[in-house]
Amino acid sequence: MSAARVLRAPGFPRAGLGILIAVGFSYGITTLVRALYGWGPTIDGEAVTTVALIAGPFGFLIGLGAFDYWFRWARGAPTIPEDHSGHGARTWKDYFRVNTDHKVIGIQYTVTSFFFLLVGGLMAMLLRAELAEPGMQFVNANAYNGLFSVHASVLIFLFIIPVFAGLANYVLPLMIGAPDMAFPRLNALSFWMLPVAGTLFLLSFFAPGGSFSTGWTAYAPLSVNAPLGQTFFTVGVQFAGASSIATALNFLVTIITMRAPGMSFFRMPLLVWANFSTSLLVVIATPFIAASQFFVLLDRALGFNFFYAPKGGDVLMYQHVFWFYSHPAVYIMMLPGFGIISEILAVKARKPIFGYRMMAFSLLAIVVLGFTVWAHHMFVSGMQSWIRVPMMITTAVIAVPTGIKIFSWLATLWKGVLHLDTPMLFALGFLTMFTLGGISGVMLAMIPFTIHVSDTYFIVAHIHYVLFGGSLFTIFAGVYYWFPKMTGRMFDERLGKWHFWTTFIAFNCTFAPMHLIGIEGMPRRVADYSQQYAGWNLFISCASFVVGLSTLIFVYNMVKSWRGGMKAPANPWRAMTLEWQVSSPPPIFNFDTIPTVVGGPYEYGVPGAVHGVFKGAEVKSTAEPAEAGTAPAGD
Amino acid sequence: MVVVGVIASALGIVFGLSIDWFPTIASVQAEKIKTLYDVLVIASVPIFVLVVTVVIGAVIRFRMRPGQEDMDGPPIHGNTRLEVIWTALPSMIILGLCVYAAAVLHDAEKAPAASAKELKIGVTAQQFAWTYTYPKELTGGAPLKTTQLVLPIGRSVEFQIVSEDVLHDFWVPNFSMKIDAVPGLTTRYRVTPNRLGTYPVVCAELCGLGHSVMRSQVQVVPPTAYAAWLKRKTAPPKATTSGGTAGAGNATAGKQVFADNGCGGCHVLADAGAKGQIGPNLDDVLKGATAAAIKTDIVDPNAQIAKGYGPDIMPANFGQTLSASDLASLVAYLKEATS
Amino acid sequence: MEAGALPLHDLPDHGDHHGPPEANRSSRVDPQVLGMLLFIISEVMVFGAFFTAYFFIRVVNGDAWPAQGDELPKLVAGFNTAILLSSSLTMHWTVVAAKANNRFAMKAGIFTTFLLGLSFLFIQVNEYVHIGFAPSSSAQASIFYGLTGLHGAHVFIGLLLLFIVMVRVFRGHFTPEHHDGIEVPGIYWHFVDIMWVVVYTTVYIL
Ligand code: HEA
Ligand code: HEA
Ligand code: HEC
Ligand code: CUA
Ligand SMILES: [Cu+2]
Repeated sequence: MSAARVLRAPGFPRAGLGILIAVGFSYGITTLVRALYGWGPTIDGEAVTTVALIAGPFGFLIGLGAFDYWFRWARGAPTIPEDHSGHGARTWKDYFRVNTDHKVIGIQYTVTSFFFLLVGGLMAMLLRAELAEPGMQFVNANAYNGLFSVHASVLIFLFIIPVFAGLANYVLPLMIGAPDMAFPRLNALSFWMLPVAGTLFLLSFFAPGGSFSTGWTAYAPLSVNAPLGQTFFTVGVQFAGASSIATALNFLVTIITMRAPGMSFFRMPLLVWANFSTSLLVVIATPFIAASQFFVLLDRALGFNFFYAPKGGDVLMYQHVFWFYSHPAVYIMMLPGFGIISEILAVKARKPIFGYRMMAFSLLAIVVLGFTVWAHHMFVSGMQSWIRVPMMITTAVIAVPTGIKIFSWLATLWKGVLHLDTPMLFALGFLTMFTLGGISGVMLAMIPFTIHVSDTYFIVAHIHYVLFGGSLFTIFAGVYYWFPKMTGRMFDERLGKWHFWTTFIAFNCTFAPMHLIGIEGMPRRVADYSQQYAGWNLFISCASFVVGLSTLIFVYNMVKSWRGGMKAPANPWRAMTLEWQVSSPPPIFNFDTIPTVVGGPYEYGVPGAVHGVFKGAEVKSTAEPAEAGTAPAGD
Repeated sequence: MVVVGVIASALGIVFGLSIDWFPTIASVQAEKIKTLYDVLVIASVPIFVLVVTVVIGAVIRFRMRPGQEDMDGPPIHGNTRLEVIWTALPSMIILGLCVYAAAVLHDAEKAPAASAKELKIGVTAQQFAWTYTYPKELTGGAPLKTTQLVLPIGRSVEFQIVSEDVLHDFWVPNFSMKIDAVPGLTTRYRVTPNRLGTYPVVCAELCGLGHSVMRSQVQVVPPTAYAAWLKRKTAPPKATTSGGTAGAGNATAGKQVFADNGCGGCHVLADAGAKGQIGPNLDDVLKGATAAAIKTDIVDPNAQIAKGYGPDIMPANFGQTLSASDLASLVAYLKEATS
Repeated sequence: MEAGALPLHDLPDHGDHHGPPEANRSSRVDPQVLGMLLFIISEVMVFGAFFTAYFFIRVVNGDAWPAQGDELPKLVAGFNTAILLSSSLTMHWTVVAAKANNRFAMKAGIFTTFLLGLSFLFIQVNEYVHIGFAPSSSAQASIFYGLTGLHGAHVFIGLLLLFIVMVRVFRGHFTPEHHDGIEVPGIYWHFVDIMWVVVYTTVYIL
């Protein structure tokens, strides 16, 4: 193939060319504008970089081919809406191109996010190494601030949020009996914006002045005056945000318009409900973080005064806008996990979910309440003091719908037949650890107490109990649970149990003492601390390295099992939901005919109960016969 | 299992209360907050224990035994009475806690009975230093700007906090209260110190490079000592304070000035035992520097930026907060210590 | 958004594999339209965030609006409002024409809509040039430029969509049965217009 042909076909070479063109364009346009306005110096590296950070990703995405179809359509050229040329994966190379198959995208999403877990986790290891002793050891203050900022940003925007989107991408269309997502090409674009955002975050380490170092919250005016690295965050978040909005929109339309016949809202598995609620949050809230970063960018690049107090700017406005997204964001990082846990507990306890309807309604209640509590992150910010007590009440009230879920799960366990394998262990670990994190959250809602512990390690403990003990445990549970479906292989159960126990114990040793040193007065976001906290910090650092090693067990297990694990049957867990009624992995278009749903998704123990039925004739054409395709699961 | 749960809760509460969570309590407000925390522990432990007990109990009693591989549990779909209970009970707990917390908040923030006697002290935050302003109502003369914070015991004080650059947060862990210093606003809170001693002042809001060294101290002293200190600080300087370069600098006094003003947080200076890593190593860079140059370095740090460091990191206000004689002593000390 | 592509050709033979089963349609709402409505919710929230900034800078801070010495050209902007609103009418006309298969009206409709939108943008830019203050003058100026600029960016995106529609209309695409490709961008255009009325009222009038 000639070089020109390679560069004209969608793919990585053309993507590279796209980036080059975009950078050249940024250079040209900024220089031209500055020359026209007579600003000196005419060539301004910072301005060029800022524009290139925005234009480069578009060059990449266009080059990769994410927009090809729409461009054809826009030109008025003939297009085939039902074009399946980009669908499915036959070789591993198909995972490295714009692919419209929700199953391929699901795996792309999940694997990419886990890569970012390792990156973010590695930064945590460096943080803990620095904090092992008071004083400065490995990094200077600037690098330390950069490390925890990138640690949190990567783990939040490139791990927790997208990995949930990835898992749901894989199983949600299967669960509701849809052949794909509603907008497959938009789905592909959503995925490819992720590596873009991640690359921007990580590239910031090479910016002059170091990576962005103002925390994942990027409070103005610090972020306005920060060195160039901050722009990488400001722009990167836009891509991560656009990606999650597009995915959420896709989920909502898919759930509303593409459910199988008979799948009424109250016959949907709770994972679908959870993603429905999450997507509502994303669509409504995410624009606020986009806007908050626009403000910062405008202040930084064009001299706007949104946050410059001497000219009438309002510093607290940043925090209101930021938290109006970022509090709902913590539920964006938790509700899909609630969905995963509901699936696993019902199957592994062999019982219907206790109080299905309340489970669904409590999700919606959390969505609604989640929009009314943002200022609990601002109790010590100096905002108008009358806002605090109402926010304290709404914040604490969220414990009620969350409690309904916890207690319903407990009731689901009761009298069941508990299969204590790895997914179930992580689910139970989640139940206990999330409760602890949630309770410390309720303590934080109590204003006088927060006034004391805000911005201390008590907050760091809360963060990790809900995000690690909460979200990450559900993610591990979900990955183990759907591993057979996604890869067609069984994972190594023994290693899974090792992974759980080492993680569970080391996790508690790492983060539980942080409550104590927090209340004792150790502030967060410091590279150096006073001697009195030295003992606990050393202990915490050692424990955190064990968490790191335990994660390696997981990685080893996944890689090994994917390559050489036992072949998985279609339905190893005897689950009823639709994704288990097709082969593992499912056929390229999911179903030969759309199943018909005739009952609830969790009717375990109900004699003869069935969730969905397939028309018998087409059954045998699914790739893997085994138990696949036959309708009734469970018993 | 109920018995196990009750015992575990009781043990948990005793354990929770026996831990010495808080730093030494040194204000009336901190006392109230500590009581609130104890209540929170008493309310939380049973909830956590309940969840854990049910999980462990279910695992012990209902885990799959050999031969049960194909069995299912009973198809229980729900129970309205239970669901009402576990909605109503947490709601009541929450409500109770909120009412109590609101009362504590009100208590902690209300003005003292004799509000006329309240001290009002200005706090100025700046990357990366604290400056305190005693207004003329307290000094009886010109307002006093200083880097030392001295408070009389048992008297309510209201801090009025401003920031000159980015967000900071004024926090004395032993007083338990904190609030951000916000550019463009004056924020405030009050505490009543009730224990003698010296406590750290901590900046609790990320404010850049030097955030972790933005520290200062507060001394709580008897009222008489406070009055004496204030008098000493505001007394017109006796000795001549010609603006002369080296002036009547006293190197021994300068060592104390160096220690009092947190220079060691950022700089290495062997003689003072300082190991800060934010700024240049003074032992190296000041070797052979003239007194005049050192003085400019301190009062106008941006005039000449040391190689490899950024501007606006070293506080620019030492020129205002240090008295002329202190400054002269500091310069003399630095010159002596590094030669 | 692969809105309403016209099946000009029959589906090609898929060779080795067959296509997916037809998805069940579990809602009467058209997926494209629903997608656009959800997207508009997001867009409304973007504006909501900018209005939050406006609220804090103007109302909470209580500073003079517009900043001392600045003046907002209410009249010109009002004229511009009329332009944009009439473009909504012509947009509607285009969709009606598409449904009635009136090709001339379609062309005329989309063309006038496009021109009206373009003149709006032109007048807006002209206003910026002559207004006499820059975004860096004050926070009030920043939020003025922020809100009108954000809206201007939306007009620009809307114009891109309209341009694409125009190309396709002139190429003879769209039928009374298949005109999502006009209708969905049309919804977006109406949203942009309504948003302007809100921006105009809050920024210029109040
Ligand atoms: C997954 C993420 C997640 C989740 C789910 C939560 C859940 C909650 N969070 Fe948390 N939070 C964070 C992530 C999360 N948080 C992060 C990242 C920060 C720090 C941000 C930063 O500054 O960097 C933060 C900070 C934070 C603060 C600000 C602290 C400060 O900076 O000063 C507060 C204050 O109110 C708070 C409260 C809560 C509450 C009340 C809940 C509730 O939703 C919890 C509800 C759950 C339960 C209560 C447990 C189960 C319920 C029962 C068993 C019923 C009975 C219980 C009772 C009666 C109490 N959180
Ligand atoms: C999803 C969220 C998530 C997750 C999973 C984690 C995981 C971890 N976090 Fe993080 N963290 C946050 C979200 C998260 N964190 C947030 C939001 C903040 C606030 C930031 C801010 O203030 O702005 C924060 C802040 C934060 C701090 C406070 C920094 C400060 O305020 O100064 C610390 C300190 O100990 C910390 C530690 C850890 C550790 C040890 C882990 C571990 O659990 C990580 C374990 C995983 C791995 C280690 C990866 C796998 C292993 C390898 C790649 C091989 C290398 C292994 C070895 C060398 C042993 N985190
Ligand atoms: C928050 C950190 C910080 C504090 C506190 C601080 N400095 Fe510095 N200092 C710096 C930095 C960073 C530089 C280098 C940049 C510059 O020259 O301004 C510097 C530079 C200097 C220099 C010039 C060194 C040279 O290369 O010539 C002197 C002298 C100095 N500091 C003395 C002091 C003294 C005395 C104090 C206390 C009264 C003090 N500093 C407090 C951060 C600090
Ligand atoms: Cu000042 Cu942190
Ligand atoms: Cu929150």
